[in-house]
Amino acid sequence: MRQSYALITCAIMAASVMFCGAAFAAHEPGPGKLVLDSKAASMSKAGVGPVVFPHDLHKQNLKCSECHPNIFKDQSKANDISMKKNMEGQFCGSPNCHNSPKAFPLYQCANCHTNVKGAK
Amino acid sequence: MKASSTRNVLKVALLSLVAVVGLSMTCSIGVAESATAKSGKGDAAKPAEKVIDPTDVNSVIYLDTSGKPAGVGDPNRPPSVAYRAGRGWHPAALSATNLPRDRYGLINWAQIVRDNLIKPRPSLDPTEEEMDPLDMDVLIEAKGDYVDNVIYPHKIHTYWLKCEVCHPQIFIPAQGQNNITMVGIVNGQWCGRCHSKIAFPLTDCKRCHSSPKKPPEAKK
Ligand code: HEC
Ligand code: HEC
Ligand code: HEC
Ligand code: HEC
Ligand code: HEC
Repeated sequence: MRQSYALITCAIMAASVMFCGAAFAAHEPGPGKLVLDSKAASMSKAGVGPVVFPHDLHKQNLKCSECHPNIFKDQSKANDISMKKNMEGQFCGSPNCHNSPKAFPLYQCANCHTNVKGAK
Repeated sequence: MKASSTRNVLKVALLSLVAVVGLSMTCSIGVAESATAKSGKGDAAKPAEKVIDPTDVNSVIYLDTSGKPAGVGDPNRPPSVAYRAGRGWHPAALSATNLPRDRYGLINWAQIVRDNLIKPRPSLDPTEEEMDPLDMDVLIEAKGDYVDNVIYPHKIHTYWLKCEVCHPQIFIPAQGQNNITMVGIVNGQWCGRCHSKIAFPLTDCKRCHSSPKKPPEAKK
């Protein structure tokens, strides 16, 4: 039991370190970064800031058609993203994305959100 | 053809020796019985092969964490050091059983309890009295307008754990008085003291966030 959980955790950590190390070093939205803050009120209740989505990095590694139009409409603010939907396997939490060992897990709030209170 | 192949032959010989030793140990533990039970149709040559079928948990010998034989995968026949001591664990044997799994392939201990598949002893101390699990769900409202609320089930936790494991150090026993945050949980506080460590992992969001919240109507 312990061992298998430890293994899974390790795998997830390794994947997330590889994935986010390059992309999320800075939270300043640079070129190619999109700020997602349509649910700013809810986010401030939960003590997290707006999401900075590194569109450029995702475009480097993935084809447009892997996200558009099935997962995200390619129009700013046209997607009703929330943590509920992420957890249910939509948007960022789609089964091959941040709900799988291929990318860092959804509980690493500070990889996506800015100003996360209490994050290490 | 040359020296290397002789070495290979030697290796094979060694390996089969190991296999034969393993085999004879398994046999003596009592696979003979299951072999006769399964092969009704008179395949004279086959029973011997079946005994070393690696997918058959009954024919595998497991080592415990210190490398000693811990038993075979057959739960009805655990002739092991660990068994005689009344404790010890052999994770490899566990993983070969057909216990229910969660979506990560990890053994789903909550399901096992719900389905009455195991009967653990309440305590190593036979004189200690067993307390019934406390059947009380506590709703923990998640901060954020769209995040599903958490239902904390006392029942499954108190099946395994005493009240003092959690109260009062980890949680004050009063609804809503703990100021729990998800970031804190991920950093190993509150539920994160156990989940992702000895209980199902934090990636399985929906097992905790199981009570849908009505999103605010004004926005959409
Ligand atoms: C990992 C998934 C992903 C990939 C791959 C991806 N996008 Fe996007 N894209 C998004 C998200 C998320 C948004 C933000 C939508 C929102 O604001 O609701 C977005 C927004 C957009 C927008 C509108 C916002 C803007 O920048 O003006 C356009 C246009 C767009 N994408 C084009 C593309 C093209 C072209 C490609 C391929 C080169 C691509 N996307 C690859 C996820 C992706
Ligand atoms: C994979 C990236 C990602 C991760 C990891 C992530 N979020 Fe989000 N989160 C988003 C996106 C995208 C939105 C929608 C932003 C918008 O459009 O307003 C969002 C929205 C939210 C909202 C507002 C909507 C709602 O559901 O109430 C809250 C609160 C929130 N996140 C909290 C968290 C917390 C806490 C964590 C860590 C447990 C976390 N998020 C982890 C991407 C992420
Ligand atoms: C072991 C149970 C458990 C699991 C698994 C779990 N959560 Fe939570 N979560 C909680 C509790 C308890 C709270 C605290 C409720 C509160 O006061 O906001 C919470 C709160 C949250 C919040 C609200 C903001 C905050 O920090 O309080 C978000 C967003 C969140 N969780 C996202 C997630 C995501 C995403 C996952 C999966 C990657 C997840 N949770 C998995 C128990 C869990
Ligand atoms: C695994 C940890 C854990 C164990 C073990 C545990 N509890 Fe709790 N208990 C909690 C949590 C979490 C809450 C909710 C706290 C909150 O809402 O912030 C809670 C809340 C409570 C409450 C307050 C309920 C309310 O509505 O205000 C009582 C009373 C309580 N527990 C009694 C017990 C008793 C009695 C036992 C032993 C039979 C026990 N607990 C074992 C975690 C635990
Ligand atoms: C002292 C350790 C401990 C703490 C603290 C703890 N849990 Fe658990 N939890 C367990 C164990 C052990 C199990 C049963 C084994 C398993 O399901 O992995 C369990 C099971 C559960 C289950 C049952 C899942 C199912 O499928 O029925 C839920 C839900 C859950 N925990 C939620 C929580 C929440 C929410 C918190 C924090 C408020 C929490 N736990 C804190 C140890 C703990």
